[in-house]
Amino acid sequence: MMNSTSTQFVPSRRMGIYEPIHQMSMWGDFKGNNCLDASTPMILEVDPKLDNQSEDTSHGTVGHSNKYDQEASKPPDKVLRRLAQNREAARKSRLRKKAYVQQLESSKLRLIQLEQELGRARQQGMYTGSALDASPLSYAGSMNPGIATFELEYGHWVEEQDRQLADLRNALQSTETGDVELRIFVDGGLRHYCDLFKMKATAAKTDVFYLMSGMWKTSGERFFFWIGGFRPSELLKVLLPHLEPLTEQQRLDLGNLAQSCQQAEDALSQGMDRLHQILGAAIAKQLGEGNYLPQVGAAIEKLDDLARFVGQADHLRQETLQQISRILTTRQAARGLLALGEYFQRLRALSSLWSSRPRESS
Amino acid sequence: MQQAIPYRNRAPTSSPPAFALDGRSVREQVAEKAVVVFARRGCCMCHVMKLLLHGHGVYPSIFHVDDHNEAEVNEELSKIIGAAAPQLPAVFLAGELFGGIEKIMGAHISGELVPRLREARALWL
Repeated sequence: MMNSTSTQFVPSRRMGIYEPIHQMSMWGDFKGNNCLDASTPMILEVDPKLDNQSEDTSHGTVGHSNKYDQEASKPPDKVLRRLAQNREAARKSRLRKKAYVQQLESSKLRLIQLEQELGRARQQGMYTGSALDASPLSYAGSMNPGIATFELEYGHWVEEQDRQLADLRNALQSTETGDVELRIFVDGGLRHYCDLFKMKATAAKTDVFYLMSGMWKTSGERFFFWIGGFRPSELLKVLLPHLEPLTEQQRLDLGNLAQSCQQAEDALSQGMDRLHQILGAAIAKQLGEGNYLPQVGAAIEKLDDLARFVGQADHLRQETLQQISRILTTRQAARGLLALGEYFQRLRALSSLWSSRPRESS
Repeated sequence: MQQAIPYRNRAPTSSPPAFALDGRSVREQVAEKAVVVFARRGCCMCHVMKLLLHGHGVYPSIFHVDDHNEAEVNEELSKIIGAAAPQLPAVFLAGELFGGIEKIMGAHISGELVPRLREARALWL
């Protein structure tokens, strides 16, 4: 698969107006998701700085630009600016591709390593904690193609999340970043969480128990798990101190939101308890007779309900995030998203640090 | 929204009309009550919906749907709303379909639910 990507991605020696855009759109197809969306803020960013650059280089490239000028018949400085933007975009696209391919390579090596460990562990009749805890890949993935796809996509999601957070951190630390640009980051960040919820909905149809188990997350995150993901009320508690200063109205609105979240969570939790009872009762009916098909068959129907619970919990997470972004200003929302992202990064790091700590020999 | 087709053996039934326990029809319930919830018996999502509404001090009538009256209820509901029958559980406010569990949750979080409940005269405070 990797060979085919490298032959189709043609490096251009001549910087033309059309070639880099062609490259970018092909690369966008390979990534399969919103690579182009992520790159558009870069182009906007690059614009004011490049205006200066293109003036400096225009003397050197006047010969080239005249050649294109004949074809395009546009004012030369616009052509130059577009050329420079395209160069920048193509460069960034190449860097992204390089990073992606490197990650694929290391994931491949990790997968081989894990499979070997798993083989050894199965022979010994038990599962070792070390590698499995630190990585999102796990046993279930090798059994079920839908789950394997989900795990792969989730791995990409986390990597993209890390990238977005790094970009957001830079944007917030720079004094030049305006609200318009921050809005793009905030909307992109929220959309990224929505993508995850969509992925989970698809995976829940394949194996809802897997999703409920949280095996696709690190053990640190699993400790804080609630119906297939993070607890929305927990989220608010984490964010609140990092959003100051808040207006009185914002404080009131956030307080109301915290209460609503708690109520919704309690309702869903109690609904889940009900489902536990019903499912348990269905399976426990008429034990001792040897056959199980009628009881297990009846229980399987209830699993649709379980998938609905995961869906509703994710919907609650999504609504909470949306409501938070409605209450806050753009800048506050950007800071909140960064804080939230870093919180989850730390939870993920917690697991790998824990599992790689020096152990006493038994 | 499509109604999920239940995976179970449907025993042939003689179809009684769609009446709730207190003898009122679907149409009557929807027209007379400020808040009516239509749900399958023992549905866990209905339980969630009930709890959310209880939290606001609203105690809705629950119209229980089971294998016997499911077809009639769906028919009546789709006549009332003029579209395909809604997914259960479904809540009606002041005679109009408000939505399912997702709508209630969303309205609860966004703060839209309380004003709507007031409008439907389910709440007076």
